[in-house]
Amino acid sequence: MSDTFSYLLMAWLDPGLLGLTALGVLAGIYIGAIPGLSVTMAVSILISFTFAWDINNALALMVGIYVGGVYGGSRTAILLNIPGAPSAVVTAFDGYPLAQRGEAGRAIGLSTVMSVIGGLIGVAVLAGTAPHLADLALQFAPRDYFLIAILGLLLVSSLSGKSLARGIFSVALGATIGLVGMDMVTAQPRLTMGSMELLGGIHYVVVMIGLFGVAEAFYQLHNMAKVPVKQNVSKIVPPLSMVLKFLPLSIRTSIIGVVVGALPGTGGDIASLFAYDHAKRTVKNPSAPFGEGAYEGLVAPETANNAAVGGAYVPMLTLGMPGDAVTAVIIGALVIHGLNPGPMLMIETPHIFWFTVGNLALANIFLLVFGLTGIKIFSKVVEIPKAILIPLILVLCVVGTYSLNSSMTEVYWMLGFGILGYWLKVFGFQMGPIILGVILGPLLDESYRQAMSSVGDRGGDFILALVANPLSLVLTSVITLVLLSNTPLKGWLVGRFQRN
Amino acid sequence: MSKNIERVQAGEKVFDWLLLLFSVGVFFEAFRIDGGLRLNSAGSFPVGLALVMLASSGAILFSHRRKQRDPRIRSALHEIQVFLNEHFQPHIVVFSIVSVIYLAAIIWASFYVSTFIFLAAMFIYYRQGKIISSLIIASLAIAVIYVLFTMVFRVYLP
Repeated sequence: MSDTFSYLLMAWLDPGLLGLTALGVLAGIYIGAIPGLSVTMAVSILISFTFAWDINNALALMVGIYVGGVYGGSRTAILLNIPGAPSAVVTAFDGYPLAQRGEAGRAIGLSTVMSVIGGLIGVAVLAGTAPHLADLALQFAPRDYFLIAILGLLLVSSLSGKSLARGIFSVALGATIGLVGMDMVTAQPRLTMGSMELLGGIHYVVVMIGLFGVAEAFYQLHNMAKVPVKQNVSKIVPPLSMVLKFLPLSIRTSIIGVVVGALPGTGGDIASLFAYDHAKRTVKNPSAPFGEGAYEGLVAPETANNAAVGGAYVPMLTLGMPGDAVTAVIIGALVIHGLNPGPMLMIETPHIFWFTVGNLALANIFLLVFGLTGIKIFSKVVEIPKAILIPLILVLCVVGTYSLNSSMTEVYWMLGFGILGYWLKVFGFQMGPIILGVILGPLLDESYRQAMSSVGDRGGDFILALVANPLSLVLTSVITLVLLSNTPLKGWLVGRFQRN
Repeated sequence: MSKNIERVQAGEKVFDWLLLLFSVGVFFEAFRIDGGLRLNSAGSFPVGLALVMLASSGAILFSHRRKQRDPRIRSALHEIQVFLNEHFQPHIVVFSIVSVIYLAAIIWASFYVSTFIFLAAMFIYYRQGKIISSLIIASLAIAVIYVLFTMVFRVYLP
């Protein structure tokens, strides 16, 4: 117990970790706020710079950037109607009309406080549920891991992007990239097209930097001429009565955020959408009509997307499955540092779990401090023109990729993935599912083969095992339901149900 | 109530056909791993993934039947024109070409020299002149890169 407590407070008491968390949150707020930069991009590039660091230092910086970045996106959504991050898209619906009414300061202040409330609720749920879930996960069979990974990929396919088909294609493409190289069991080359260089596989950080860094830089070239409208910001700290008024809604939407965030593959963007929908359906007398500057429309997505951060850590630390694109990248960081994300993490390295919990809570406290101060400097920094930002992003991507293995070939691969990502983005494909596919592909392959071996390579027995065990049956049923809900059959069934 | 019909962007159909072709290529490459179809081997999962890619890219192409062509596009030739206008604007083409030259130049010029020239050239081009301030910003950026990556992060630079 005393060990747990000391791990929990490690980041709070060590000046170096305290400083790195603070730096991470501050940097995250700006990275999340500057359109063209994203948290996933920053964390991807950061992995390559921090892999020689002590794991606690690396995690403290990444956690800070993650928490700050999710919040930072809302600031430009409110001030400029340009969401800095996907999770802040919904914030702009009511945040920008509030700014137009001259209430930008109050909107930013309220969103800061609500983000912190959501973030802390997310951390509390992570601390309370993850150890139990990890115990349960130890009893999972390989087929259950296989099914959970399928479910996560299916959810991310159906909830992001223009269509399920595009989502599934992205996930399969990512998983295919993840399998390139030598097979770990038979040492056979797979999908290498005869190239010796590909035998070692494609480093997922190279794919991440290409898809989130270079592709985004190219994509932003389309919006070079967009000039943001400046807002006057004053009275940033919200009155206590206002915070208390919206507290019940923020608690409800935090729970939505944690649950959605904990679903493998989903994240803050989907959580904020669900929370906004919940607020619209349940708040009878909003402060203004939704979409025209309702504070409720600001509170709901802001609490949910920050609560989703804690939620996203639950499947990552207990099952080794990323809750969203950023935790997919953080899984990579843990693996690089020789850790084993999944149920064994709690047994082998419990200090990492409790350190992360304490660090997330600390990051939320820093968020409150930095969120309510420095707005004048902030409004200057977010006005960095894209003419300067885009070439710099490319240089950072080159440095980040090269520093992984000192290989220029990997830099060329990174550029190739960037160009591929650009075209995929242009035609409505999302980058998140591809990255999740890259991370989960090898895990899926491994659990599938283990599950198949456990039934003596008999296909019929494998299918039977998917419905014979209670947990597998539940997972198979959910997968079937998700699939059916994306077919015309859903409309037909709903129609019949309504007629009856 | 009118139903919101999605529009096909210029070049989208060709891109989706390319994805189908790519999926076919992946399928053949996956099939070659074991030289056949097996339930539990190094090639079984890649073959499964290739089949998923084939099915989903087929579904993407099939979904075009429910979509409307962009009303601005009058003919196939005009579609090429719209596509080129949208995605091959001068500032995008310049950035792409200069980026490739920059990556190639890193090997034979040093990282710092090539990065400085790349940044300065791009800043001057995008900021339409402003040579002095562009050179100052590029120099500052190089200084920050040096301090941050060689002194703080201590990573190897190209």
